[in-house]
Amino acid sequence: MLEIRNLVCRYGKVTALKGISLKVERGQMVALVGANGAGKSTTLRAISGLVPAAGGQILFDGEDITRASPARILGKGIAHCPEGRRVFGQMSVAENLEMGCFLRSDGKGIAADMAHIFEQFPRLAERRRQIAGTLSGGEQQMLAIGRAMMSRPKLILFDEPSLGLAPNIVEQVFEIIQTIRAAGTTVLMVEQNAYAALEMCDYAYLLETGTMALEGTGQALIEDPHVHEAYLGGGLSH
Amino acid sequence: MDQLLQHLANALIMGGTYALLGIGLTLIFGIMRVVNFTHGELYALGAYMMYFVANMLGLNFFLAIGFAIFAGLVLGALIELILLRPKRTADIDTTMLLMIGAWIVLQNVETLTWGSVAKSIPSPLPTEPLVIGPVSLSWLRLLVLGLALALIAATYALINRTKLGKAMRATFQDSGTAALMGVNINLVYTMTFALGSSLAAAAGALLGPVFVVTPTMGDLASLKAFAIVILGGLGSISGATIGGFILAFVEELGAGYISSGYRDAMGFIIIILVLLFRPTGLFARVERIG
Ligand SMILES: Nc1ncnc2c1ncn2[C@@H]1O[C@H](COP(=O)(O)OP(=O)(O)O)[C@@H](O)[C@H]1O
Ligand SMILES: [Mg+2]
Repeated sequence: MLEIRNLVCRYGKVTALKGISLKVERGQMVALVGANGAGKSTTLRAISGLVPAAGGQILFDGEDITRASPARILGKGIAHCPEGRRVFGQMSVAENLEMGCFLRSDGKGIAADMAHIFEQFPRLAERRRQIAGTLSGGEQQMLAIGRAMMSRPKLILFDEPSLGLAPNIVEQVFEIIQTIRAAGTTVLMVEQNAYAALEMCDYAYLLETGTMALEGTGQALIEDPHVHEAYLGGGLSH
Repeated sequence: MDQLLQHLANALIMGGTYALLGIGLTLIFGIMRVVNFTHGELYALGAYMMYFVANMLGLNFFLAIGFAIFAGLVLGALIELILLRPKRTADIDTTMLLMIGAWIVLQNVETLTWGSVAKSIPSPLPTEPLVIGPVSLSWLRLLVLGLALALIAATYALINRTKLGKAMRATFQDSGTAALMGVNINLVYTMTFALGSSLAAAAGALLGPVFVVTPTMGDLASLKAFAIVILGGLGSISGATIGGFILAFVEELGAGYISSGYRDAMGFIIIILVLLFRPTGLFARVERIG
């Protein structure tokens, strides 16, 4: 469904991605793990069209989207739930969800999806008129996920959805992501919490300073001695 | 007391157009981070369009106002497309210099086109004033206030009720995330600059008939707009609205009770005082567009 070939991305003189390739098949959950600064967010931002590609290709459903605008890419069915949640802090919960379906104009479908999201996240339903900036971190993450779902994506990109959340909330977030995937949406997830991500996913990639160091099933990466040593804390399994 | 009432009435009337001027500038700064030195020239454009359509072509007064607003919209969009879009990733100093250049060019074009002699636009309304107790008001000024308030209300509705307004607010808060939602950021920038410019042109069209029209009228308008925006907190529309009325009151009282020569100095004094004591503006707690 998504294929990246030899993608190169630069920020000025810094080359953040040095020709990476990856594939996401329909219905899969794919994890992209790696240390801070490895280029994980840059990969997702390049897919969404926020960062221009200096080389290589990004294909979605066989179509070249390497140079498409963020709006076109979203329109094709790729939603992006960004790092740090990035809810619109001065808008209400409901307005944030409306932003998620900015490109849609099917009023009835939107209303149904909004109702569905409120059903899934009762805490958001109670706070629908509340200003998003006043929500807790966990609630903001739920809102960011709901907002991304409002575009009815085929593929959803999650950038560190567990970042800065309390352990019980992290668990909830991962459950929600699994529900989304079970309902048929393909998932590409970036996580620093490598163990959880590798356990959940069908296939995983390990990014090290802009190059793809390793790929394989989640289980294979968990058992890999290098991954175990460098990313899973080295000790016995968690 | 009677004199005070008259001053307050005058200030209220000027406040409406000042608010328009300030809202236009604060929108542009808040969303685009561009310090728009051409704002006053768009104000002058509005006044000259008014003169051109109402006096020279002899068309209806209200039609002339509509035409002036439209001209502001078009010139604003052109400035954004030609000067600012290619410099989208440049820092604020670069765009500031660019806008200063555009300001000088526009002002010279105005002088060349219209000459430096002041023009006046006759009022279509009865000239004997409306007298309510101790307060006497010209019909023209009342009309100016009414139209300014209507335009302010329309701007609020656009920002808070329309899809474009929502896209503008999202871009103001976080342009990267707004782009992820499918907002066309380039289009939002062009529309913002055009809208802000048309508000300046509207203010010029409204005040042109009240005063006289000269090629340098924009300088003072820019200064006042900056004073209003600094007073209200950069990027705050409600702050600019209130700021417009405050500047008008301070000017009117300064002119009435200190010396009439101080009227236009009040803007400078406000800028200095606010920057010294409350650099985030009088009302800035959270910056909020809308
Ligand atoms: N906006 C930016 N400007 C300059 N360098 C950046 C920018 N964003 C990221 N980088 C650099 O690119 C590299 C990859 O960053 P990123 O993709 O955010 O990593 P990750 O998400 O894996 O932590 C890092 O070296 C980072 O410093
Ligand atoms: Mg990151």
